[in-house]
Amino acid sequence: MNGSRWACWVALPLALLLWAGIALVVKTPLLPTPAAVLETFWLALQSGELPEHLLVTLRRVLIAFALAMALGTLLGVWMGRSRLANALLDPLLVLFLNLPALVTIILLYVWFGLVEAAAVLAVVVNKVPNVAVTVREGARSIDPKLEQMAMVYRFTRWQRIRHVWLPQLFPYLMAATRGGLALIWKIVLVVELLGRSDGIGFQLHMAFQIFDVASILAYSLAFIAVVQLIELALLQPLERRASSWREAGVRHA
Amino acid sequence: MLELRLDGRHPVLGVIDAQVRAGDRICVLGPSGVGKTTLLNGIAGLDPQLRPMIEQRAGLRVGYLFQEHRLLPWRTVRQNLALVGASPADIERLLAEVGLASAGDCLPDQLSLGMARRAALARCLAIEPELLLLDEPFASLDAERAAELRGLIARLLDRHPGMAMICVTHDPRDADELANRRWWLSGRPATLRCDEPLAAGSRIGAPLRSA
Repeated sequence: MNGSRWACWVALPLALLLWAGIALVVKTPLLPTPAAVLETFWLALQSGELPEHLLVTLRRVLIAFALAMALGTLLGVWMGRSRLANALLDPLLVLFLNLPALVTIILLYVWFGLVEAAAVLAVVVNKVPNVAVTVREGARSIDPKLEQMAMVYRFTRWQRIRHVWLPQLFPYLMAATRGGLALIWKIVLVVELLGRSDGIGFQLHMAFQIFDVASILAYSLAFIAVVQLIELALLQPLERRASSWREAGVRHA
Repeated sequence: MLELRLDGRHPVLGVIDAQVRAGDRICVLGPSGVGKTTLLNGIAGLDPQLRPMIEQRAGLRVGYLFQEHRLLPWRTVRQNLALVGASPADIERLLAEVGLASAGDCLPDQLSLGMARRAALARCLAIEPELLLLDEPFASLDAERAAELRGLIARLLDRHPGMAMICVTHDPRDADELANRRWWLSGRPATLRCDEPLAAGSRIGAPLRSA
């Protein structure tokens, strides 16, 4: 463990050095140096442009994420617990899992126009099947012995969901959340690029038209940083707290 | 309080007619795999096929000590007891009663097998059961722990004379110590042979009354 602590500080600085080296050699605006990107980032930050678009995108990500998690969890639990529901819905799930994000986005824009609801809905439609598949696995692995226990001791529906199901589903919900956040913000950028006039995807679109690579890199790196921050500040502490009971058996043994 | 009228349409259990009355202490004996746990699950209402064939008084409180502790591993012993409706004062009393006064804040997986089983027994008692179901309560305990738990259960039964008990075991000595009736389960589909309740006071070690 001690020997590997420094290891995670190797690849990123090395990549940065490599990038800087190549940029200095080729000297073209199509590959700006890290310093130039940082400057672009700083200017966009000060002008308020970057925070504004970042917040717009973040808002879309969070709304789409919340809707997709809620719908996907309901669907996943239902399909995991009921053989009939699974048989009914599984073909649809397979269809939507294999539907390219781009197709959903285009269709929803065509049908509903270039409106916010269509944008968010397109993201949700793309993400719900992934959440449902993951949560379905969790719902299938719910311990039948604890179900019997909850029945004998007459747990209320709410007690059963909160104290028996949720702790068992938690690792699956976390996996869906992790994968969800990473996937959703990438889809949101495409949605913005194709049919919105604000957000980071829109800014990338503008930068693309004038080959402003420095802006493209500055905006993407800023958003990667935000997503990492959510992971470190929110998800990891939550996971540590909720899975602390797992270590009890190990400590005892 | 409970009447079994099994008509033989169950894959494991055959035609069985039996009654459980308040204060009955029944040990169910039989070879392993004969359907003892199936019978217990049926009485606990866990077998949908058996449910229409088992008539129980409405609202009968049934405490079930499963073979495994089946406490929620992500909740402490105290939280597990609170979840079935025990008040904080009741919880402390119950924990002391089963000898776990200092283990209330432990997670089930931190307890030894014997302790976890006693914690599960405390949960049974928390609902003030009228019928106590015990599934192999002494299995995989060493002799000393088993004797301890047997003593604990015997004291409990003495203190609650109206409480009925059905204890599944494969060891006739358990029946000698705890039971006043015996059910023998055998065959496939399994059928039941019952003996009559023994006279009060002649419980331990008394020979079976012949017909």
